[in-house]
Amino acid sequence: MTRRKFIQELIKGGAAIVVGVYWLAEKTSPRKFIRAVRLGKYPGSLKPLADIHKQGKWSG
Amino acid sequence: MRTVVYGYPCSAHVDPVEKKPFFHFLPGSKTFSLATVGCNLHCKNCQNWEISQANPEDSEASLCPPEKLVELTKKNDCQSLAYTYTDPVVYYEYTYDTAKLARDSGIRNLLVTAGYINREPWKRLLNFVDAARIDLKSMSDDFYRDVCSATLKPVQDTIVQTRASGVHLEVIHLVIPTLNDKPEQFRELSRWVRTNLGSEIPLHFSGFYPQYKMRHLPPTSEETLDMARNIAMEEGLDFVYIGNVQSKLGQNTYCPGCKKLLIERVGYAIMQNRLKDGCCPDCSKEIYGVWK
Repeated sequence: MTRRKFIQELIKGGAAIVVGVYWLAEKTSPRKFIRAVRLGKYPGSLKPLADIHKQGKWSG
Repeated sequence: MRTVVYGYPCSAHVDPVEKKPFFHFLPGSKTFSLATVGCNLHCKNCQNWEISQANPEDSEASLCPPEKLVELTKKNDCQSLAYTYTDPVVYYEYTYDTAKLARDSGIRNLLVTAGYINREPWKRLLNFVDAARIDLKSMSDDFYRDVCSATLKPVQDTIVQTRASGVHLEVIHLVIPTLNDKPEQFRELSRWVRTNLGSEIPLHFSGFYPQYKMRHLPPTSEETLDMARNIAMEEGLDFVYIGNVQSKLGQNTYCPGCKKLLIERVGYAIMQNRLKDGCCPDCSKEIYGVWK
């Protein structure tokens, strides 16, 4: 292997490491905003809306 | 991440806006109020623990997509939609989509929350919010950790962020005997509100009733709430209210300029509202709030 070839390989290897580390850092850093996906079916039981006109019994 | 409560409120009612409580936001108006089950806090004193601490699997709910909520709000002559009872942070996506739709229809959006949320999602939600009533449960991080399974700093950050955003803000503090009912605690909290939010932000001191995992404590006395109110006013806050007990003075709004009565309340009812275009009719002082 010539010296030029060796330096080229070294630069390629170094660049690959830098890109890999950047990609990994981006993947592992916490995201500022995630939107949850809506699940179609309610896991509990369903009932019709009732007593809308009555004041809520809950606080707030 | 998945949301299982999107479009499934466990409770929906037409309430007076004073019940939230909002005292400086369209007084006397009706607000269509809803909640899904669940909360990101686990307060041992929660008054709504039957829905806030329930799992969706064990609960009953009704199918009500955002479009239907907006339709019901209009149909029931409500000027606003209130995301309340539990915490809208927990049904964030449902709140966000409904608020967006409601705003397009000219309906105001009110959040009733403990404010335990990160900066970025809160910022996005605030774009569609007209008013927020946020709990400041204590000035002690230990209290937040021990009683609520949360921490203080994110809540303070949310309150300050809301104030800076220009969204109408009211703060509430639940007074629990032996835990946060000392004069110096009221003083510290009032100072924080005045310094970080300004003297015009309404502060509500609310009475505690033995609930959930704190049934061993007595209810808050009216004297304690009066003391809290007096201290907050000594510290320079303009609008300090008392809730969850019958209090004549502690429910009314007085002009911070000339001290005359502006809004008289009995329970959730408005007996008289003397404000003229959001100003005191006697000294013309502008009063903080959304009045029309």
